Amino acid sequence: MNLAHLHLLLNHVPTIGFGFGIGLLAASLIRASEDLRRASYVVFFGVALLAIPAYLSGNAAEFILETERELPEDVVTAHQNAAMLALIPMEIVGLIGWLALQRFRRWHKPAILVLSIAAFLLMARAANIGGQIRHPEIMAGGPAYAPSWPSPAAIGAAFVLDNPWVWPICEVLHFVGLCLLFGVVLLVNLRMLGFISGVAISEVNRLLPWAMAGLGINVITGMLFFLAAPDQYTQNSAFMWKMGLVLFGGLTLLYPALFEQEQGSAPDVPNAALIRKAVAACSLVIWIGVIFFGRFLPYIGME
Amino acid sequence: MASVLAALEQSGVATWIRESGVLYGYPLILFLHTMGLSTVVGVSAAIDLRLLGVAPTIPLASLDRLFGLMWAGFALTATTGVLLFVADATKHASNPAFFVKLAFVAGGVTALALVRSRVFHRQQRGTVLAAVSLGCWLVALTAGRLMAYVSEFIS
Repeated sequence: MNLAHLHLLLNHVPTIGFGFGIGLLAASLIRASEDLRRASYVVFFGVALLAIPAYLSGNAAEFILETERELPEDVVTAHQNAAMLALIPMEIVGLIGWLALQRFRRWHKPAILVLSIAAFLLMARAANIGGQIRHPEIMAGGPAYAPSWPSPAAIGAAFVLDNPWVWPICEVLHFVGLCLLFGVVLLVNLRMLGFISGVAISEVNRLLPWAMAGLGINVITGMLFFLAAPDQYTQNSAFMWKMGLVLFGGLTLLYPALFEQEQGSAPDVPNAALIRKAVAACSLVIWIGVIFFGRFLPYIGME
Repeated sequence: MASVLAALEQSGVATWIRESGVLYGYPLILFLHTMGLSTVVGVSAAIDLRLLGVAPTIPLASLDRLFGLMWAGFALTATTGVLLFVADATKHASNPAFFVKLAFVAGGVTALALVRSRVFHRQQRGTVLAAVSLGCWLVALTAGRLMAYVSEFIS
């Protein structure tokens, strides 16, 4: 298996996943069901996380395919820009969904409804253009992309490459985000493990949006690094590990938002205390692993 | 002074860290440095946010145990920091960003100790201290991260 396989595996997840999430959201509106609505937000958040490796593996697929045959460069570029144009609203929907599950419950319903549909349509367009790279037979009516659409991937790359101060500033911000994310996650997990006592988990959880802010800063700055120098990352196995761990680390942030909301109450399932400790321990190991592979990235994995 | 720095840099340990090329050398020290600093700065920042009014219902007494963890994180960062310094002693000693970093780390650590003694143990208001602490960590992180660029610029 290589990263081109991974792209084939993941590239339908954003479109189909968001379609599924929108279906759940529509059902929740029709049946006035809070549970269905929360389920749709969980789907949006999970798919928003999966959309990141789906995007990143695209560059790797391009790199591998280029070695065996000539690719239609204009279609590849259009696909990349279309994917980034869809990825941005998709990540915003994931973020709003997580915040609404956590505790911020204003304006999220219309925002998520409109943005999720927009993200779905934009991702379907990106997928359609992507299909033309290897399947010219679906181009019966001429190419489906218009070069006049916004090209955020190219704009992001140019922003970093044309301004020498952007990369160092992003490195600083990446560390600021890391400290916010790790500090708050450490605090919440130590409470879930029982190292801290005398405070309800639901109270400590109120700090979690700051961990999410840290993750957000690092997704944005990390994406700028990637856009500017994709080959430095797609060929690096430490980067693959890091991104895989970020995916699972992000998922562990759902646990307190879903199961630790009411003051002092344990989730109503058998072995709740044990599950909580297991999730907290996994979360710590995962985020330490993210830092490990990030730090070792220049030293291992370059072939 | 210059001869002391040069001697440090040519010592066996410093040469091994700089030149051995093994993963458990320079890269591991760098990773541990990051783990230690993200523990001190991250947990300290979380406590600062609490003092500035985020999650005001968290009792401060419940966070008191975290200071031990933060001092452990600081010890790890300081130890690995010394190792990273000796490995390139003359380079770092001529880098202004390095001294900015050291000064603001000292400020951050002082603020941390004051938060514990004044705000946690003597129940004084902590908003100013929290803001100073966050500011010190931000400058220290920035200066530390920019050290490589500054040293490239001045050489």
